[in-house]
Amino acid sequence: MTELDQRPGAPPANGPGTTNLADILERVLDKGIVIAGDIKIDLLDIELLTIRLRLFVSSVETARKAGIDWWETDPALSSRAMDSELRAENRELRDRVAELESADGNGNGNGSAHSARTKDTAGT
Amino acid sequence: MTTTQHTAPTVDGTTAGTATYVYAVCRQLAPAGLSALPGLAEGFPVRALRCGTLTAVVQHVPAADFTQEAWEQRLSDRTELERCARAHHEVVVAAAAGGPTAPLALATLYRSDERAREALGQDAARFTAVLDRIAGHAEWGVKVSLPAGSPRPPADPPPDGARRDAPAAPGAGRAYLERKRGLHRAREHRHDQALRTAEDIDAALSRLATAARRLRTHGQELTGTAARRQILNAAYLLPHERAGDLAAEAAAWRARTGAEIELSGPWVPYSFVGEV
Repeated sequence: MTELDQRPGAPPANGPGTTNLADILERVLDKGIVIAGDIKIDLLDIELLTIRLRLFVSSVETARKAGIDWWETDPALSSRAMDSELRAENRELRDRVAELESADGNGNGNGSAHSARTKDTAGT
Repeated sequence: MTTTQHTAPTVDGTTAGTATYVYAVCRQLAPAGLSALPGLAEGFPVRALRCGTLTAVVQHVPAADFTQEAWEQRLSDRTELERCARAHHEVVVAAAAGGPTAPLALATLYRSDERAREALGQDAARFTAVLDRIAGHAEWGVKVSLPAGSPRPPADPPPDGARRDAPAAPGAGRAYLERKRGLHRAREHRHDQALRTAEDIDAALSRLATAARRLRTHGQELTGTAARRQILNAAYLLPHERAGDLAAEAAAWRARTGAEIELSGPWVPYSFVGEV
């Protein structure tokens, strides 16, 4: 983590090797002036499909080795994780509601059951 | 089509089987610091190429190693990708030490110096405008993150929990559902707040800057930590003398919001040369 490499007034001087690779990549690949070259290099295809994937895979492996399994459990991380969590939660809720309704027979839980179903369709 | 063979050296210094790789464009160039750099093709000097009123920073590279296929290979290899990106960046940084410098995107290649000169010359007005814009400025990167926050029940019961018109029956089912809904609301609330914090910080920092750009936020797979969630990734183009103000503003927001605010820079203004 570079906290603050601050030299006010100094010319831009991010030293190679000291700078976060992701920071460099997002600038060198995504930014900079794009002009047509003679030799057509379609970096966009490579960049989006391959690089991001590689970066992702390698860091996921690192994370997995470190025993961090956030990508499977953190609902904020991916919509898929979010969906499956919501679905599991809704299944749980519906079962619970059905159980309660059949137990007391008066359908008291209707309001809640309805909102649980609404969430289900909204979340998937 | 992608490989070009030259059979003989030409007046502009083209040598057999080489292409001209362009790193950056500037006005004047002190080539002193450049020739020592390996660039992307060791053994070929990184040098200045005069293009009218502008100077391009170029290097001959073996044409056969710089085709689309070669790049695909190269950039699919994480080590090679890193080497190329850093080599490109290193040359850009060295060139920028001499004055305003507009970096080109990775892999801008011409068949010869002459072709590079011609193509860059056609865009001279655009380059001049860009150089005017970034003169006296540097780019600063700002990343803001918040603790990811583990879902936990809100301290108070949700407001509509007070609406207990139904017969008592304080059933476990209802409590369970309310707790679940509370968790969901708490999560949404945190998300909204995080977005608002990001907007506020971006707005405040933008006021100090000549220009600002939002970059894609890095997911946790890139930041490598599950404990924090990045809510803002932005770049600000700042006059050199404003760097201290940015640091002070960041510190104030850090204190106010508890967010982690990470500054990086000064960068050559990569994010501010693409469009004018």
